[in-house]
Parts: sequence; C-alpha cells; structure tokens
Amino acid sequence: MPHELCRSCGSCGFPMRDPSDFAGGNPDAIYCSTCGDATGQLRPFDEVLQANADYLVGQQGIDPQAARLMAHSLLVAMPAWQSHRPLS
Amino acid sequence: MPAVSRSRTRQREATRRQLVEAGLRVVAEHGFAGATTAAIARETGKAHGTVFVHFASRDILVEALVAAIGEAMSQQLARLPAEVCGVAEVLDAHLVALEEHEVLYVRLLREATVLPLSARARVFALQSAVGSRLRQAHARDVAHGVARAMNPVALTNLWIALTNHYLLNRDLFAPGGSVVAQRGAELKAQFLDVLKP
Repeated sequence: MPHELCRSCGSCGFPMRDPSDFAGGNPDAIYCSTCGDATGQLRPFDEVLQANADYLVGQQGIDPQAARLMAHSLLVAMPAWQSHRPLS
Repeated sequence: MPAVSRSRTRQREATRRQLVEAGLRVVAEHGFAGATTAAIARETGKAHGTVFVHFASRDILVEALVAAIGEAMSQQLARLPAEVCGVAEVLDAHLVALEEHEVLYVRLLREATVLPLSARARVFALQSAVGSRLRQAHARDVAHGVARAMNPVALTNLWIALTNHYLLNRDLFAPGGSVVAQRGAELKAQFLDVLKP
C-alpha cells in the first residue's frame, strides 16, 4: 500500500497528520499547532519551550523542570532553533 | 543556484545520508557506545575526517542517529486514521513500529541515560506521541462503552512500561528473536484486559 511521508514540525519534530496538528490548521504550515501561531509563524522560543515542556509533563507526568531541560535539548537540536544551541 | 552548487549540495546530502545509515548499522551491531566516529567512517569506507565535515561532534552525530530512529517510528504512528481508531489499532501501529526498529530502539532504551540529553528527550517525545494517539483512541473507546475510564497519564505510562519491560529483557522473553513478533499479541491482550469495562 503506498503511503506518504508525514511532515514533521520544523521546530519540535512532532509528526503532523490531521489539519489540527498544523499551525493555524493549515496543512501547508511547516510548524505544528504548538510551535506555530494561527498565521503559521514560529512562536517565540520561550513560549515554544514551555509548551513542549508542558506537553511532556501532561503526557507522562515527569518532573516539570526535567521536562523543560529535555524540551530545551530537543528544540536546540532542530534547525529552527540552531541559534539557541550553546557554543561548544 | 548554479548547477555545480546543486550537484555539490546533492552530493553532500547523499554523503550525510550514507553516514547516518552506516551509523545505524554500527549501533545495531555494537550499541551507541561502540558507534565511534572512526567505526562509522570505516563502515562507509570514507576517511575519518569526512564524518566531521557533516557532523561537528560525535554528540551531534548521535543526535542525528537518534533522530533518524525517532522519525522512522513517528511516521509509522502518523499513518493511523484518527477518525476510526480505537486503542487496539494504536497498539497495533506502535507494535509494528517497535518490531521494525526493535534492535535500534532497544539500544536506545538501554543507553539513553548516557547519551546526549536530546537523545533521551527524543525517546520521551516519541512516547508522548504514542500517548497522545492512545488518549484520543481511549476516549473514543470509553464513549463507545468498550473501555473503562483511566487517568490518561497512567494509560500512557502503563503501555510504555509494559513494552519497555519486554524490550529491555528481550533475551529472556524471546531468546534470539524479535520479542515484538513473538510476544506482541500477548502484550496487546494484557493491556486491553486492563482497560475492560
């Protein structure tokens, strides 16, 4: 059965499938509804970071501070947030 | 972009893909601990320095390998049709993804605590994506009277704990073979039994 690759959010990597997964409900958006606003633009880093941390806490109940650290490490590995990556 | 530049970009992307694919083969065989940049370069037949042209550090290479595993598994889950999906279908999709990537995923589970934090975060993000689909499906099953209500975090964590237990101990549950192929149906039945009204 042929299948299409589902696009991943350019900010957090979430696999977007349903229109509600996409920013603004637009299947052409490159960001998900968590990371992008209603116009499809990327939200500020701090907002995206907290939203992703809250998602991890809400899904699995891990410690909020640990979730924030993990969300941060995940985001800065993505091209959209390269400028936030600590210099090594 | 001039033709020469496009060709170089394509070549660069192709080499990067080769390195990631080689890295995944090395991880499958030797684990992340054994996936040194030298080993990965040898696997591709390229010079060691080539690795660092595409990945600034080993940590960044490991992140790319983990991302490749996570992306492949996420794609499997994303193919579920949300409208008609019950818990059983979500479990089936997750088990298919786990079986397809079992060796690599087990390596990731076993070594996550000593990998870059982003690798561990990727595992949790993947688990959260499973949890998100499970919640939607569970809500549908409860509405149809075929499942009992359950705390949504407990729902996700119970399934993740159950599958991780079997995966981490696959040598005991399915010696020499795929634990998902051999015991997947049993795992699904156990979990659905917990959800019975």
